[in-house]
Amino acid sequence: MAALSHHHLSSTAPFAFQQAPPQNHSGEPTQHAFYPYTDNGGSTLGISGKTFTVIAGDTRSTSGYNINTRYAPKLYPIGGQGPTHKGSKIVLSVVGFAADGRALQERLDTVVKMYRYQHGCEISVKACAQRLSHILYNKRFFPYYVQAILGGIDEETGEGALYSYDPVGSYEREYCRAAGAAASLIMPFLDNQVNLKNQYEPAAVSGFDKKQLVPQPLERPQVEELVRDAFTSAVERHIEVGDGLQMMFITKEGIEEVYFPLKKD
Amino acid sequence: MSSPFSINGGACVAMRGKNCVAIACDLRLGLQSLTVSNNFPKIFQYSPTAFLGLTGLATDVSTVSELFRYKVNMYRLREERDIAPKTFAQLVSSSLYERRFGPWFVSPVVAGIDGKSGAPFICGFDSIGCIDYAADFIVSGTASDQLFGTCEGLWEPDLEPDDLFETISQALLNAVDRDALSGWGAHVYIIEKDKVTKRLLKGRQD
Amino acid sequence: MNALVSRYSQPAYQHEGHSDNDTQKQLALDVAPSLSLNFALPPIASTASWLRAMTDDHANPNVPIKLAHGTTTLAFRFKGGIIVATDSRATAGNWIASQTVKKVIEINSCLLGTMAGGAADCQYWLAYLGMQCRLHELRHKRRISVAAASKILANLVYSYKGMGLSMGTMCAGVTPMEGPALYYVDNDGTRLAGNLFCVGSGQTFAYGVLDAEYKYDMEEDEALELGRRSILAATHRDAYSGGFVNLYHIKEEGWVRHGFNDTNPLFWKYKLEKGEFSNVTSQLV
Repeated sequence: MAALSHHHLSSTAPFAFQQAPPQNHSGEPTQHAFYPYTDNGGSTLGISGKTFTVIAGDTRSTSGYNINTRYAPKLYPIGGQGPTHKGSKIVLSVVGFAADGRALQERLDTVVKMYRYQHGCEISVKACAQRLSHILYNKRFFPYYVQAILGGIDEETGEGALYSYDPVGSYEREYCRAAGAAASLIMPFLDNQVNLKNQYEPAAVSGFDKKQLVPQPLERPQVEELVRDAFTSAVERHIEVGDGLQMMFITKEGIEEVYFPLKKD
Repeated sequence: MSSPFSINGGACVAMRGKNCVAIACDLRLGLQSLTVSNNFPKIFQYSPTAFLGLTGLATDVSTVSELFRYKVNMYRLREERDIAPKTFAQLVSSSLYERRFGPWFVSPVVAGIDGKSGAPFICGFDSIGCIDYAADFIVSGTASDQLFGTCEGLWEPDLEPDDLFETISQALLNAVDRDALSGWGAHVYIIEKDKVTKRLLKGRQD
Repeated sequence: MNALVSRYSQPAYQHEGHSDNDTQKQLALDVAPSLSLNFALPPIASTASWLRAMTDDHANPNVPIKLAHGTTTLAFRFKGGIIVATDSRATAGNWIASQTVKKVIEINSCLLGTMAGGAADCQYWLAYLGMQCRLHELRHKRRISVAAASKILANLVYSYKGMGLSMGTMCAGVTPMEGPALYYVDNDGTRLAGNLFCVGSGQTFAYGVLDAEYKYDMEEDEALELGRRSILAATHRDAYSGGFVNLYHIKEEGWVRHGFNDTNPLFWKYKLEKGEFSNVTSQLV
């Protein structure tokens, strides 16, 4: 049923980007195009609060209908020391082509460490965010196939800071953002539950006079529940999302990691 | 060249509640980026409690809705009774399959309540008539991905009519607000055994 | 002696084989100023057509890398300065990627740039332009003219012509020597001076309102209102425009921001209080 419905007219699989460029079946010599990307699926999501930022991502890695592994983290602490990333207060999440994601993470990690060696202090999230944008744009003509989200704590206000990126580095500071395969499923849910979109004060006035609810920064337990809800929903309806949910809570004390199993089917 | 399913835009969703069902659609009709009409409902009534939602190519939405009006009228004349939602679903399925090799570019959704038993019924179809029975919700249209997300997040079993109205409205409005090709207002029908409530939602107009 | 040693010896890691030219370049980039013009290129002959195959969703909706697009932006000169207004929607295909994009880029206190086309291209090159303008200020001890600033940008994008940059931008500013000045610059290298421009997928709708009501001798509040109303019309009819109305007024003293207002309450205010947009149903019939 699933293979038949809705998309039976389109020649590509309905769930994902095609894995290789279209083949030539007319008998002429096939030209092998340069196709350096694979879509490894998965989804990430970030929400910023009053005193924290959470970045979450599922841990499934796919190529086409295959699952490469059920535990491949998409979240990377940036600029920390040693294998435990001690002292790191910035988290980068990347979804798309995992190899490009790792390359990007290593570049940003190097940049942040070089900054510390050269300036003798930690880079601010704002500066790190801008630098990430420039790293992405440096490959404008050979892009990293990734959608990145960067989270940290704003040094000036102490509030959570969250930045989202397109593959070539256009970026924006936001309160919440979903990226990757299930972004289209998760984002409208977050609009409704975090930014209170389409929610009005339940006053007894006619529809046109109702006041829109004003979003308030959420507390950590609420956010954690929303993130879990968002991912359990996405797992039900998207084949590239599942297996495990990795969350990183960034506070002024540092990064706390939480793992939560998701359905493996 | 874009797909015939996404030239005009539009979204539709049906949900099951406790002894009730709901069906909702947006009101946009566009030609790619240009919004031509803000008053193009995609839900059609075929008996006191049987409803059909049609998204896809607008010309086919109109034609197919009229085709079923004819077919259901003929059914009523022959059988001297209203068509049950389950029967109507079979009619939709077989009519779509008649065009197996030159399909109507529509994704239909049926919602209704059985006149006799009062059992709620919803189902969806692909464009050549494969029925997708569901116990929870059915989505279709250019915002179907978004609707899957909002419905999966907001829907719960055994909602009363008022709660079902709130749930389906929030699911639809927030989904179409993330789709460029649908929105511009919405219609919601709440169908109970002997009562149908139709409401207009004030949606974003961008 | 030390200078000689450092000049003719290399650190050990360079002899380990894995550090070829590429990683050397990357390391250099990591430490180099970040607004650099040293771009990585794919290892093939026709880089431009490859990039188009990977990113141009207009030609093929199933491209792997979807970049943010779609916009309505406008700017016009009037007796009180320049009004700059934009919507705030970014789309990737039919997906609305964001409703809160800041499409007016503050180059400095009296110069604004607008953003249409590729979001990253506009952000990066207008930031680069900001840097060049500041350098000009430091070198010449006076602020750069809008004409010169827009020409830096036009020459810059011209040098990348055919490489796939996508931007339609307006440079607006007030300087003592020029007065209010407005330039349109796009990725073809076009650079035009003018009184009134609308750019983006919703430009025609904005022109419809703007051309009908525009007069050079408008008052400030009239002009702001016209900018707002033109964007609103475009967000209503153009599927790829929407979100918020971002309004700026540039005066001799510099620019002033006049809010980032949601189109939803704005639309219903115009409809219900002034009776405009009568095409939209507000009653169930």
